[in-house]
Amino acid sequence: MKKTSVAGVTSTAIVCYLFWLFITGQIVDIFRGKASAQVLIVGAIVAIGAAIFSSRFFIHEKAGFLWNPARLLNLIAYSLVIFPIELVKANVDVAKRALSPKLPVNPGFVKIPSKVKSEYGQAMLADSITLTPGTITMDITEEDGQTNYYIHWIDVASEDPQEAGEAIKGTLEKWVRRIWE
Amino acid sequence: MRIVIDILIVISLFFAFAGTVGIIRMPDEYCRMQSSTNVATLGVVGVIIGGLLYSIIYLGNVNMAVKLAVMGLFYIITNPIAGHAIAKGAYKHGVKACEQTTCDHYGEDMVKE
Repeated sequence: MKKTSVAGVTSTAIVCYLFWLFITGQIVDIFRGKASAQVLIVGAIVAIGAAIFSSRFFIHEKAGFLWNPARLLNLIAYSLVIFPIELVKANVDVAKRALSPKLPVNPGFVKIPSKVKSEYGQAMLADSITLTPGTITMDITEEDGQTNYYIHWIDVASEDPQEAGEAIKGTLEKWVRRIWE
Repeated sequence: MRIVIDILIVISLFFAFAGTVGIIRMPDEYCRMQSSTNVATLGVVGVIIGGLLYSIIYLGNVNMAVKLAVMGLFYIITNPIAGHAIAKGAYKHGVKACEQTTCDHYGEDMVKE
């Protein structure tokens, strides 16, 4: 666990405050020019207080890492275009399997290597893999500087780590590396 | 526009149905979890997007739309973490995989350590 840093507290507080604005609906009132000062001030105080206590759990690397136009654009493209396409493809595939009379499953636990170095990137790739139907990340281990993912795959096309990795996370990994490296 | 909203909601209902059928039919716990992700992703996101468009266009309530968007975002962020924890917990607890399982690299590597 890291020490609490000023940059970490600031960035956590900004995210908390944005969440507060969205959930209370004040973000709409600001544009209409009738936001309530009381709600805004209480939100700011609570956001800073929460950030002081919790930022060391969230910020493990450089706090302003994502504050870079190229990375932000990549993140938006990934989460609005690339990932939904993969998601729909996988959804259709698993739905077909569940509804077909013969139930064609061929499950297995495979091990795939990953080149993503950053902690956030690893978490994001693991979550992306779990969120696509058909694959669930079971564990992440690190041996000799090589990160390995253990994945439960509903249709094992290949047991070879390289080929399986290409089939499971081919495009996803490319984009995650573009965002976090 | 109303037709687009209806189509979105019907598509997500279809995927929710397919996921539920999968949960009942799949042979073991891990495959059931795979099928339940079907409900959790397109099944929910379609309904949320449909509701978002409906609340903006027909109700004129932007606040509701913003809350729906935040709900969808947090649903997508938190769902895989729970799925990951359940799968790992089930494996460590000794839940058996079904007979069709072709390979188990996870179990082999755990024994080596």
